[in-house]
Amino acid sequence: MTEKKKHNVFIQGAITPNFIADSIAKHSGKTNIGGHDIFLGQVRNDLIDDKTVVAIEYSAYLEMAEEQFHEIREAAFTKYNLVCMHIYHSLGAVKTGEICLFVFVSSKHRKDAFDACRDIVEQIKEMVPIWGKEIFEDESHTWKINK
Amino acid sequence: MNINVLLFGSLAEATGKSQLEINNVLDTETLRSKLLREFPKLEKYKFVIAVCKHVVKSNTILHEGDTVALLPPFAGG
Repeated sequence: MTEKKKHNVFIQGAITPNFIADSIAKHSGKTNIGGHDIFLGQVRNDLIDDKTVVAIEYSAYLEMAEEQFHEIREAAFTKYNLVCMHIYHSLGAVKTGEICLFVFVSSKHRKDAFDACRDIVEQIKEMVPIWGKEIFEDESHTWKINK
Repeated sequence: MNINVLLFGSLAEATGKSQLEINNVLDTETLRSKLLREFPKLEKYKFVIAVCKHVVKSNTILHEGDTVALLPPFAGG
């Protein structure tokens, strides 16, 4: 049951496509998996009061966030029939076009992976104390509001 | 009684503090009023209170050494 132990979720800066590719490759040995579902959050160039976002600087209440991520994991393993699950979220600055959230869920059959992935992403947005400072071209900023 | 208070995101920016120590508050509502008196700017901000990493929805009794966090709306992802 090593899949269920506490994991380090936070990654300093952007989550790179290479990191994601490596994570996928690491699952080739787990031949009981029949489907993966992946959600990637990307930093968008929102236009706010005529200024364009160029990066988001993420911060978190780390101790609480880690506990919440742990709860989300445990609940998903209880609710869905999953083989494994990985969640990564950025801290610090992530530029527009770069990846800031990587949720990777694997199951025997597709339905559990689809349903769990969506559920986990929604719960991260709702339950985890993470904040994003949206940085504009002129270095001014505003605080990100989730829709 | 010492309560350790943590402020995050926009709240830390508005007050210029990410950590405070508050004495002689018995519960979260008293703490909230005391902070609003000390930092009137906070009046404009929406936030929830977490006691020892758990969000509390109603007034909660505080104990010596508790950590109380003021959390603006979450914006992960």
